[in-house]
Amino acid sequence: MNQKTFRIAIGLLLILAMALGACTPETITVVETVEVEKEVEVPVEKEVEVLVAKDVLIYNSMHGDPDPRAADEEIVKMFMEANPDIEVVHSIVAHEDFKQAIRAYLTASTPPDVMTWFAGNRARFFIDNGQIMDISDVWESEGWNESYPKGFQALSTVDGKQYFLPTSWYWWAVYYRVSIFEELGLEPPETWEEFLAVNETLKENGYTPLAIGTKYRWTAAAWFDYLNMRINGPEFHINLMLGKESYDDPRVAKVFEYWRVLLDNGYFLEDAAAYSWSEALEPFIAGEAAMYLMGDFIRDSLPDEIESDVDFFRFPIIDPSMPIGEDAPTDGYFIAANATNVEAAKKFLAYLGSVEVQTYNAEKLGRLPTNSGVDRSMFTETQQKGMALIDGADFVAQFYDRDTTPEMADEGMNAFMAFWDDPDSIDVLLADLELARKEIFEGE
Amino acid sequence: MASIRRNIVPYLFLIIPVLIYLVWVIGPMFYTFYLSLTNWDGLTTPSFIGFRNYERLFRDKVFFISLVNNLKWLISFITIPVVLGLGLAMALNKAIPGEKIFKMNFYMPMVLAMVVSGIIWGWMYHPKGGLINTALVASGLVEKGPGWLSDRDIVLWSIIIVAIWRQVGYVMVLYLAGLKSINPQLLEAATVDGANSWQSFWRILLPLLTPVTIIVLVISVIDSLRAFDLSTITRWATELLLL
Repeated sequence: MNQKTFRIAIGLLLILAMALGACTPETITVVETVEVEKEVEVPVEKEVEVLVAKDVLIYNSMHGDPDPRAADEEIVKMFMEANPDIEVVHSIVAHEDFKQAIRAYLTASTPPDVMTWFAGNRARFFIDNGQIMDISDVWESEGWNESYPKGFQALSTVDGKQYFLPTSWYWWAVYYRVSIFEELGLEPPETWEEFLAVNETLKENGYTPLAIGTKYRWTAAAWFDYLNMRINGPEFHINLMLGKESYDDPRVAKVFEYWRVLLDNGYFLEDAAAYSWSEALEPFIAGEAAMYLMGDFIRDSLPDEIESDVDFFRFPIIDPSMPIGEDAPTDGYFIAANATNVEAAKKFLAYLGSVEVQTYNAEKLGRLPTNSGVDRSMFTETQQKGMALIDGADFVAQFYDRDTTPEMADEGMNAFMAFWDDPDSIDVLLADLELARKEIFEGE
Repeated sequence: MASIRRNIVPYLFLIIPVLIYLVWVIGPMFYTFYLSLTNWDGLTTPSFIGFRNYERLFRDKVFFISLVNNLKWLISFITIPVVLGLGLAMALNKAIPGEKIFKMNFYMPMVLAMVVSGIIWGWMYHPKGGLINTALVASGLVEKGPGWLSDRDIVLWSIIIVAIWRQVGYVMVLYLAGLKSINPQLLEAATVDGANSWQSFWRILLPLLTPVTIIVLVISVIDSLRAFDLSTITRWATELLLL
């Protein structure tokens, strides 16, 4: 009897040992291949077939949604038709998974040659790590230094070299209800004084001048971005985002002085912290609030009947001597620094940035082009106005939480909320932010 | 020989769960603690930095704010529902007409999923269209109701109220069970001896209810650690109105 139990026990132990043994190698492979493998659709047989005859270019993209996915695949097909000597091995990974996987891609010994990514700090991080290739020669040979608006050029450039190809984007602006402005005889303000006057008139007439919902904090970050760029210029703003300027700089304090005027005068929607951005849209749609600083995606949420009653204007200029920066979150492409097939990769990138592909994306997906060579007559009047807005910008910022590191963005947005609640606390808040900046960027 | 074997066998059986426990619970616990002493981005090799992460934590104001908020939550959550629950249990432990309906209604919030409670209260707290502020304004007491979920000074209490509302019925049921198990003769004897109801509550009922009180406190402490979902959902609730 005892012998029997003993054997069973040993038997169970063995099973466990085998189970554990079977587990171990698997965990190792997971590390190597990244957990998103299942999503990857690599046409393996094809790859083997052509390895001998063709150049293989590996392209990983994050266009996981059905329509962008179809367009992405079609573009790869068109490229291969135009370049029969290159075989593009294309993998599409869902957006969120791609964000997780990109670090593993870039640290692999043979990274994918071409990848999709976000412009701004999220690309800058990899550029500073030496993981993204300098593609100044592609910019030069394709003439993008002329055909791309200067804001996008500056966005792709680090220390005079281009590393990124921006392709699709949307703009931010102050949206307003045309009917309210007409009723009160208001014009879209261009300067800060005009802006304050418009706010005052709206308030006197019983309207909420500025809709905003700060439940998720980021809407307030837009105000910081714009005020900082208008007061201190985009260069200071970006350096602050990169941790190269300090938050206890008097220039940053000045941003909050301007901001405070709007808060103290009660121009913002009451109880803003109770609403998300789309909830704060309700008073704007109902015609109770007149203006809303928001990204162009706002128009997707407007009912058809008021869409014609909504227009937008550039965030007012505060210091005319400063270059103009605009928030326009941009996606695009880059080549990995140790890409295997550099020549084919550059050819593909040149194709992606071409008028042909950008026109295709505009037609299929309604994407706004970065290449000025694209015929603008196919876009709506609003879209053309948005493009003109960016044409006039000297620098294109990506938005607070994309321009700085995630940790810093978190600290910053918490401080914006605390400031909103208690504007008197700004000195303490900025001192804390400066401590956080030192810790995050300088490791102190 | 046989006795040695008899002693070993249970341990052999234990080896399996112990191994599993070591590999998946104890091991990761220590490894996680080790990781907390390093600077690690999840990909490269962790570099040891001693207690610097902890230094940073204790310098972080948000950490202290949340610590104090947790304490406020814990203290209110273990005192208020216990007092209210016990009071309700005492009141409903008599044959009054409709006592079953009362009990059921008080227990009802506990039956609702946390998500549902959060959403209902989130709507009630809506600064403009919510039940509470609409009622306050309509009654003429105030011109504009407070921002229950947007004012930093009151948002914590707004959510604690939801948690208490949910917990009271549960505590009441536990105490009702405890009261049923108390021999009524003890109370009768006390009355015969001239004790007033206040004395019999403090001297007889409450001491006899001690085991229940301990259970209630333990459960309350455990439940108070689950404050996350309620506070998240209550704030998120108004979003659902848009769907």
